[in-house]
Amino acid sequence: MRAACGRMAARGAEAAASIILLVTLTFVLAHASPGGPAYAIMGLKVRPDTVAAVDHQIGADTALWLQYLTWWKHLLQGSLGTSYLLNQPVTGLLLGYAGRSLLLQVSGLGLGVILTLAGGIAHGKFYDTRFGRLLGAIEIMFYAMPGFVIGTFLALLCAGLLPSSGIADLHHAAPSLADRLRHLLLPALSLGLMTYSGLARYLAEGIAAELRLPYTRTALAKGLGPWAILSRHVLPNALRPLITLLGLSLPALAAGSVAIESVFAYPGLGWLLWRSALSHDYPLLIGGVLLTGLATILGNLAADMVNTILDPRRLYA
Amino acid sequence: MPDILPAGTLHDAAILAEARPPAARVLLDLWRPLRALAALLCFSFLGPFAWRQDFSHIDARAVLSAPSWAHPLGTDVLGRDELARLMQGGATTLSVAAAAAAVAFVLGLTYGLCAGLGNAWLDRALMRLLDAVLALPSLVVLICFSALMQANDTAMALLIGLVAWPPLARLVRNEAAALRHRDFILSAQQLGAGPAYIAIHHICPAMGRLLAVNATFLVADAILSLTSLSFLGLAIQPPRTSWGQLLGEGVELLALHAWWLVVPPGLLITASLFAADSAGRALLFGRKSA
Repeated sequence: MRAACGRMAARGAEAAASIILLVTLTFVLAHASPGGPAYAIMGLKVRPDTVAAVDHQIGADTALWLQYLTWWKHLLQGSLGTSYLLNQPVTGLLLGYAGRSLLLQVSGLGLGVILTLAGGIAHGKFYDTRFGRLLGAIEIMFYAMPGFVIGTFLALLCAGLLPSSGIADLHHAAPSLADRLRHLLLPALSLGLMTYSGLARYLAEGIAAELRLPYTRTALAKGLGPWAILSRHVLPNALRPLITLLGLSLPALAAGSVAIESVFAYPGLGWLLWRSALSHDYPLLIGGVLLTGLATILGNLAADMVNTILDPRRLYA
Repeated sequence: MPDILPAGTLHDAAILAEARPPAARVLLDLWRPLRALAALLCFSFLGPFAWRQDFSHIDARAVLSAPSWAHPLGTDVLGRDELARLMQGGATTLSVAAAAAAVAFVLGLTYGLCAGLGNAWLDRALMRLLDAVLALPSLVVLICFSALMQANDTAMALLIGLVAWPPLARLVRNEAAALRHRDFILSAQQLGAGPAYIAIHHICPAMGRLLAVNATFLVADAILSLTSLSFLGLAIQPPRTSWGQLLGEGVELLALHAWWLVVPPGLLITASLFAADSAGRALLFGRKSA
């Protein structure tokens, strides 16, 4: 128990260090934006005396360490400034888009787990047959494809069958649930295929290795059917390392979803981040980087903690 | 046995044999995956000598034309030849990615050697910092910085290299920390070799295979980062182009069913990632797995 607490404390400290680094990085970014904050607020044609006035008003003429402390103060109060383009507070904007991103991530992950289980079990069960090798080739093909290529090809294949942009049909004021689901399907499936390509191979090799062990022969001799052996004995053993891998693949999935949201014009956090980068809307961009960075760091931390509870061997690794 | 040979000779010879596989063997390991990479390099760099169309020539009479003899892969929304654009895009993608991988390689190697061969507190401090850096989502950091700066090739290569080095640094650190107590390092120290000399002449050659494997993985990683960024329109700017940017342009025209603007760049990106990845695997596990 003490070892578990120690490890969790160490991981917590590590995550805190990452967060401090992230906040410092965004501070540097805010100061590196072309021309400085006054130009960013007033536009590039502003007069020099106005620049001085704005700098004084927002405190940009004080010492750098003082500004750094103010940066932290504002963050802790949850205020991230105002978006130049949309003229709304960044915090509220981000939270609205983050909800849609979360919906996409969760449904993508759900589809991914289903695909991984189905594909991985089939591949593991028929590991040495032609069917198994075909499944392996499919896994490798998707593994080499970045998420946005998978998304693009899906959109091309399903053109006319399924909508490939937005979250609902624009012609209806109040879109139905079915319509929303139809719009969610392709981006979620792209994310699901990314998850599948990373995990199914491990599951298949785990199952194939377990099936070669003597205890499965014993179970067979006892008279258990092949599917009962698989579900009751082999799967629990083969699934455990998969949870670790799932946790490890979350950051890649979050990164992949930025490009996938841009393929399908899905208005989530990644899409917002992308648009604000293209239009040089720095407060929104920096807010988005902070929020996605924070989500990644905390997600990693949570995955690691769950792993430590599930698999005590990691404590002594 | 110890009386016949001077102490250490056999041991060091064994280590050298283990550390440096014969050059012929390495070439054999690399040939299969490198065939794909060589084909992609030929397409990108030698292709323009065979297919002499200007990638930036605008032809208003041939806008969005489907593949034909005049344009084997069709034309884009400005009537530019897609095949010539894919070749130019490949040259840009592969050269910028290679430069980025080189930057990441040097950074990761230096950082890892400093941590692995330095004293305990330096090691600990560097590794904590590394953990913090590793936890940052790299694509988000890349998007943010590329929005802030002028996107020329050098800046792109530096930026992607600056984000890609941490995994290599950790591997190098672990390997160097394990090697530093081996006999051949200790004997070099006894002979008066300084830390930099030992790092360059003893540690680096001893982990040659690890470095080669991870250099190829770094190339795959850099191709992925660069294509993602240019897909989002944040890396290579027009009139020059890259595979990611071509795919991004194709996606905007998906409603017009211009499949020839989407399928070839998508397949080329996939093929280049597959080639770099399998070259690394072949080096890691030997020829069979390639």
